[in-house]
Amino acid sequence: MGERVQFDEVKVGDEAPVKSHVLTRTDLVKYAGASGDFNPMHHDEVLATSAGQPSVFGHGMFSMGFLGTALTDWVGAGRVVRYGVRFSRQTWPGETLVTRVVVTGVREDAGSRLVDVDCSLANAQGEQKVIGTATLAV
Amino acid sequence: MAVDKSVIGKSTGRRRVVVERGPVAVFADAVKDTDPVYRDAGAAAAAGHTALPVPPTFPFSMAHWGAFADIQPDEDDDASAGMGAMGQVLGPLLAKGGLLLHGEQEFEYSSPVRVGDVLMGEGRIADVYEKVSGNATMTFVVTEMTWKHDETGETAVIARSNTLVRTSNPPT
Repeated sequence: MGERVQFDEVKVGDEAPVKSHVLTRTDLVKYAGASGDFNPMHHDEVLATSAGQPSVFGHGMFSMGFLGTALTDWVGAGRVVRYGVRFSRQTWPGETLVTRVVVTGVREDAGSRLVDVDCSLANAQGEQKVIGTATLAV
Repeated sequence: MAVDKSVIGKSTGRRRVVVERGPVAVFADAVKDTDPVYRDAGAAAAAGHTALPVPPTFPFSMAHWGAFADIQPDEDDDASAGMGAMGQVLGPLLAKGGLLLHGEQEFEYSSPVRVGDVLMGEGRIADVYEKVSGNATMTFVVTEMTWKHDETGETAVIARSNTLVRTSNPPT
């Protein structure tokens, strides 16, 4: 975490610090338990492969959650005003997931100091997993 | 096949939840968030929070952890009608072997969610639409869950989910 970013120092085009993580099957099990999403495609390798998947795969909401952590690491907890994503690809154990958060707008609205960002999560080869936008109160 | 738009606006039910400290810390761990504000009241206070905050996507899992039976509102008929309507749209598609996918998710915060809060969620079907592309048809259902602080009625967060079922079109 460290110090959270200050409004006066944010400019359009700035990027939040990158978070990177190698996805493991343990991550999937932990997220299943933490979220209550026990779809077996995320933890049962036997069932997933018999259904034609190469292996178990990550929860979309894990990807969104991990990307959300990149947002709050940067601006501080409780400062996300809006956060939306589209899920575009599955994530697989062994993939390195890398966050990208780019400032697209800096504005004041009814006394709130807001920063708009484009945000995405991709693997090391640049394949986009989730793509979204957020508004942060900085 | 035209999609049934009559379900738009129907209720998908009400849930009352309590936000507890343990689940929030477990959830923060699971999304790789090590910020002490989710675990340590002193750290939360030092960062200006009146109670422990929650990670931004935690509302998606609030009902899993905190919708205890003894705090639920009385069942309303409207809600079961709404869930039935959702099944009416997606059920036949799934029965045909359609693939259910979570397409989009959004959270819109009006006020913070914190440990100790009791929230009432009211769900409704916000939209239903269909896209045909090549040999597949995608049927989308957008649901919207509005979580309000139970005591004050103040909106905390609106969670919007876009769920879709992809079915193969018959050859023409």
